[in-house]
Amino acid sequence: MSATVEANEKLVCAILAEQVAHLRDRMDASAAFDLLWRTTALLSWLSGLLTDINRQAVQPSPVLERERAEAITEIGEIRRQLDHLAFVEAQRQDFARQIADCVIVALERMSEAKMPEGAHFSSSDLAKLYVSDDQRQLHEEVLKRLQG
Amino acid sequence: MPTILVLDDSATMVMSLSHILKGAGYEVETGMNGREGITKLSEGIKPSVILTDLNMPELDGIGFIKEARKIASARYTPIIVLTTESGGRKRDEARAAGASGWLTKPAEPNQLLSVVKQLCPVK
Repeated sequence: MSATVEANEKLVCAILAEQVAHLRDRMDASAAFDLLWRTTALLSWLSGLLTDINRQAVQPSPVLERERAEAITEIGEIRRQLDHLAFVEAQRQDFARQIADCVIVALERMSEAKMPEGAHFSSSDLAKLYVSDDQRQLHEEVLKRLQG
Repeated sequence: MPTILVLDDSATMVMSLSHILKGAGYEVETGMNGREGITKLSEGIKPSVILTDLNMPELDGIGFIKEARKIASARYTPIIVLTTESGGRKRDEARAAGASGWLTKPAEPNQLLSVVKQLCPVK
C-alpha cells in the first residue's frame, strides 16, 4: 500500500472515530431518565398525600375510600413499571455506548501514525476490545460469513 | 438502614440502580470506577453489599474486587458483579478475585432486588 493511500485511510479512520464519538454522546438520555425518576417520586408523594387526606377526613366516605385504594394500587403499579422501564433502558443505553466506545477505540488505533511500517490493526486486536459475548458472537458470525 | 455500594462508569446506570435500591429501602453509596470504590471503603464506609460493573476506567471491576478483599472491613462483604460480560472466563476471573455473585445485563429490577435482599434483607 502506498504511503499516500495509507495516510488517507488513517485520516478516514480518525474522522470516523470522531463521528462515532459524536453519535455516542448523543445517546445520552439523562434528561428522559430524570423525568422518569421525577415522575415516580411525584407518584410516591401523591400516594402518600391521598392516604393523609383520607386520614384527616372527619366522615370518610366508603366510595372515596374505595377509589383512593384503587388509585394507590394503580399508582404503585405505574411506579413499578416506570422503574422497570428506566432500569432496562439504562442498561440498553449503557450497552450501546460500550459498543460505540469499542468502535471509537478501534478506529483511533487504526488511525494512529505510530504503528510500525506494514503493521495493521487485525480482527483479533479488535476482538480484545469487546465487553460482551454478544459482540464476540457477532464477530465470529461476520468472520465466518466473510471467510466462508 | 443497610448500605449498598454501587460502582459503574455509566452515570445513568448508577442513577437507575440507586433509584431501585433506595425504593426498596436501602441507603446507596456510589462510585464511577473501582478506584472511587476503594476510596469509599478506605474512608470507612461499610456497605452490606457491593454491586460492581467490570469494565470501568482507572480501576476495573476485577481490580476493585482484588483490592477490596485486602481491606479488612470488606474482606467478607458480598460483591455482586453486574456486567454485560457473560463469558465463563471472565466469570472465573471474577470468582478467583473474590466476587460472590454475578448478574448479566440486561437484568430485571426484580432479579437484582432478589439477589440483594437474599444477601441483605431490609428489616
